[in-house]
Amino acid sequence: MRSELALAPSRAFRGLGSFLWTEILVQAHEWLAMGTSMVVQGVLLVFVWILDPSLLPVSFLGAILFSMFTMGQRVLNEAAYLRIDHKANDLYLASPMTPEGYFLGMAIGILVVYVGPVLVIGLLSIWVVPYTPAIVLLLFLLALAVWLFSASTGYIFSTFFRDNRAIWAYSSLFFNLFGVLFPVFYPLSLFPADLRSVALLLPPSAAAALLQSSIGATSLSEAQIALAAGGLAVEVTLILLGAILWARRTSREA
Amino acid sequence: MTGEALWSDRLRKVYETRGAPPVEALRGVSLEVHRGERVALLGRNGAGKTTFLKIASTLLRPTSGRIEIFGEDVDRRPDRVRPYIAVVPQEGKPFFHLTPREQVYTYLRARGLARETARARTESAIEQMGLESVADRLAITLSGGQRQRTMVATVIATEAPLLFLDEPSIGMDPFARRDVWDSLRGLTRKGSTLLLTTHYLDEAEVLSDRLYIVEGGRVLVQGTAEELKRSVGGTLKVTLQGPGIVADEFQSFGACVSDGSALTVIVDPPRLAELLQIAVQRKLTAGVGPVTLEEAFLRVVGRSINAE
Repeated sequence: MRSELALAPSRAFRGLGSFLWTEILVQAHEWLAMGTSMVVQGVLLVFVWILDPSLLPVSFLGAILFSMFTMGQRVLNEAAYLRIDHKANDLYLASPMTPEGYFLGMAIGILVVYVGPVLVIGLLSIWVVPYTPAIVLLLFLLALAVWLFSASTGYIFSTFFRDNRAIWAYSSLFFNLFGVLFPVFYPLSLFPADLRSVALLLPPSAAAALLQSSIGATSLSEAQIALAAGGLAVEVTLILLGAILWARRTSREA
Repeated sequence: MTGEALWSDRLRKVYETRGAPPVEALRGVSLEVHRGERVALLGRNGAGKTTFLKIASTLLRPTSGRIEIFGEDVDRRPDRVRPYIAVVPQEGKPFFHLTPREQVYTYLRARGLARETARARTESAIEQMGLESVADRLAITLSGGQRQRTMVATVIATEAPLLFLDEPSIGMDPFARRDVWDSLRGLTRKGSTLLLTTHYLDEAEVLSDRLYIVEGGRVLVQGTAEELKRSVGGTLKVTLQGPGIVADEFQSFGACVSDGSALTVIVDPPRLAELLQIAVQRKLTAGVGPVTLEEAFLRVVGRSINAE
């Protein structure tokens, strides 16, 4: 494990920038998927508006966070697809490029291409969310944390599959677990009180709860804030580090 | 860079799969590839060729044994080996939403080449592979052969000191295959070393300086194509067709292989006239041709299968 960490930073991410550009070129052709995700989110927000307009701020923030989560999850599909169908691991990992450069290049490339619709939702949310500079900064940091968590878990999971079709079931499981079942699009206060601490340990719902609290849509105790923020920081750090080490390790069994 | 381009000693790989018996893919493979050489690994499907290539290209860890590339231990220091190598993976495909030009260029950039160098090498590789007319079309619209040419272009453009090519010309038409051969010969003239696997024995014969025949995870024989062909026991093959041919009649001339309707006899030139005289007397149809690598391969591998 120590030797896995021993690469100098300049070498550790070699190839990241170039592979990021590759991934941007590849993903940019998926404009239809981007447009569709935008429309789906738009329709959901319209439903919320019709059902209960007071939930709109929470739903907009949830939409931003969950979009970041789904962007991270695209890494699961993309990494598995490139490894299984295109043998891109063999091509890229047997080269001076580093495994973590490959993983992060792919993840950031997807982020750059798909972040457009999220920015649109963010701009529209100005209409309903009482932003302050502090809330904007918090939103940025939490969205980044959710994306890092999702992209890292996505990359790690992608290495376990030998068949792309097997991934679909797990993708929907993650989608439902992290975005539908636990409170991301709706306030934490509507979630069963006994299970709230569980929700606060899941990065998307923890980030959503912190944002909801910052705009006064949910009230969190100090302990709950500490649990959500501390848990999120620790989980994201550990999973990102784990994904980098895992990328290095699995580059030997591609 | 020091040492041989590639050197392996008693390399073993055992695949452990939960719930299934372990599979010993390599059983002590020792081989060497000298600098500037073109070497082919031949073998049936599942013989261990791809496993060897994956270990050599740092993508798989051996169970035991040792392997070095330019004097660097592949298993212990893959990071030192990777700048020296490039791989055309078996069944690899270019990114479907990149054009061949983008694919080659972005790969070179990911390997750390400067923009200008990457651009120049991209154009050269595209031209060598005859991809000019489709260079700006998305790979998803290309034929299988064109995609494979894109993969080869991607890797030859690196001009890496050691190239691994796992069935590089699969799916290509005869013209494209010859383009690939020319490019690979050009690379070795520039100093690169090649290790390839192929099921096209004509390709192996034309392209490689030396060959290793692998079966069941072991190297059966190694040598030049000529040496392997000589090991068959003659340099000519005579194919006889007609009623009532019995292999026993011709076994004194050399090895005989019957495929039902025809009998192939391997013979040395001094005894050809004698054999043809018998064929004429028996009113058999006879065809004469040189022994090919295919005969040598079938004989070497067939003998090994029979022995097991």
